[in-house]
Amino acid sequence: MWKWLNRANPEPSFGEFRRKFDQMLGHGRHVFDLASNAILGGADPDVIRDDLFRTDKKINKLERLIRREIVVHATVHGTSQLPSCLVMMSIVKDAERVGDYAKNMFDIAAQTAKKRDDIHADLVKLKAAVSALLAEARDLYGSQEEAGARDFCLRADKLTDHCDQQVNRMVGTEPGTSQPALSALAYRYHKRVMAHLQNIVTSIFMPVDQLDYFDEDKASRDS
Amino acid sequence: MYLLCAVKKWGRVLFLLGLLVVFLVAIKLMGSSFKLLGEDTAESLFRGISNPFAGLAVGILATVLVQSSSVTTSAVVGMVSGGMPVGVAVPVIMGANIGTSVTNTLVSMGHITSGAEFRRAFAGATMHDFFNLMAVAILLPIEMLTGVLQKSATWLTGVIGFGGVAYKSPIKAFIGTLAKGPIRLVTDVLDLSGWAASAVLLALALALIIISLVAITKTMRALMAGRLERALNNVLGKSGLLGMGVGVVITIAVQSSSITTSLLVPLIGAGILAIEVAFPITLGANIGTTITAMLAALASDKSGGLTIALVHLLFNLTGIGLLYPVTRIRRIPVQLAEALAWRAQKNKLWILVYIGGVFVLIPLLGILLFRS
Repeated sequence: MWKWLNRANPEPSFGEFRRKFDQMLGHGRHVFDLASNAILGGADPDVIRDDLFRTDKKINKLERLIRREIVVHATVHGTSQLPSCLVMMSIVKDAERVGDYAKNMFDIAAQTAKKRDDIHADLVKLKAAVSALLAEARDLYGSQEEAGARDFCLRADKLTDHCDQQVNRMVGTEPGTSQPALSALAYRYHKRVMAHLQNIVTSIFMPVDQLDYFDEDKASRDS
Repeated sequence: MYLLCAVKKWGRVLFLLGLLVVFLVAIKLMGSSFKLLGEDTAESLFRGISNPFAGLAVGILATVLVQSSSVTTSAVVGMVSGGMPVGVAVPVIMGANIGTSVTNTLVSMGHITSGAEFRRAFAGATMHDFFNLMAVAILLPIEMLTGVLQKSATWLTGVIGFGGVAYKSPIKAFIGTLAKGPIRLVTDVLDLSGWAASAVLLALALALIIISLVAITKTMRALMAGRLERALNNVLGKSGLLGMGVGVVITIAVQSSSITTSLLVPLIGAGILAIEVAFPITLGANIGTTITAMLAALASDKSGGLTIALVHLLFNLTGIGLLYPVTRIRRIPVQLAEALAWRAQKNKLWILVYIGGVFVLIPLLGILLFRS
């Protein structure tokens, strides 16, 4: 009876959401790496297509599962954990969007020339940094470490600024690459992936009403 | 921390056991309150609802008023123990089944401002009503003609152990000893007798039944929240007997069919639980809720207490046996609920007419027209 009553504890359900969310982030990094390898690493898109789309479906399935379970959780437990439920509802969307942007990246992979210019080298460095951020976001969400989350956002800010500068360069007179439109899109997609990771990580230290609005706080972080 | 959690958990378990004792004492007091009147007076009192339609109406209205079929069925077990004939109690029990379905219908009103969500939630709630109404419409006339439920329950009571064999239950003896306190307080200390003593004891018994059942339900819900959540997550997207089993288990765990059915309403409204999947869970709740009357029968002096509790179980099992197995018949309550929900979404007056009519006006008219 003791074991039975212990299993009746309401707490584990949020741990279960976090475990599934962690899986989503893991899958997110995998699809991002697959897609960026297709663009930058010269991997054959046809070879990685199945893996990428299968993993993205897993992400989408986990998102729907977490959403359903959050509704059940809120129905059973009432409003006591409502803010946490709302945060989770918001950040699963961000995790799902990482998969979507990876697919967008994959879509332009076939058109991208594998020419090794300066922009290509810069994108390779950016890809490595974003992939590391994906892993770090997963760790930070697991540990809920606030100082690390703030530091993550500062570093992500710098990288997104760099993406903006590069996009501005692509639309200028000296794009520095033979495929400025595709390169601009690649920077744009990397930037969006980082933005969604920042949404996830800021949930560690920002109140629920300010989720997704960390950009507005950027000036104060920079100063 | 671990020690604190352990103390808290075992504290809740002991609190639950205490509440169960209070509940059983209340049932005992309920029976005793009628015995204080004397057999003739009690009999003439119960004769007022000897017409089955009057009994049905009383069951519906009493359950709507206290928002709990468990209170009504437990009180009926107590009354049977105090002299109410089982035959008179059967329609009251059926009425309690109908009355209890108003709670989740009221819960669905929380979605009234959201069009499609309300339609789904209202249909999800009222399918329980329609099923119970159909079950009564079929089984009450059959029972009036044949008394099959009562006869079967009486036979089962005999099989279980009440059939003429004198069995001294230790639980019953313990509850009987505890109940002597309040009875002496009323008859010796307050020096009341006859109607006055009966009325005071009856009021005390009813208050204790309501308080103990509300507290049991709340404590069980707090204790079982994690399990409830897991059970509901497991049943999403599945259907049939598994859902029915989940409904039975959840309702036994929280001691309230209203909690089970009311938990389903927001999930149906949100669209994450299909109405067809929720339907068997609702029927399972009908079976699970019969456990309360069984518990109440533990405090009953006469075999009638257990018999009426078994009637409640047999009625629900038979209803499911008649209305669930054939797909076309099974769809009827759901289709009726969906048709009503479409109308209610378009014109909210339907809600008022439906709830006011089925749960208040018709039972009131039934009492006025059919009471003896």
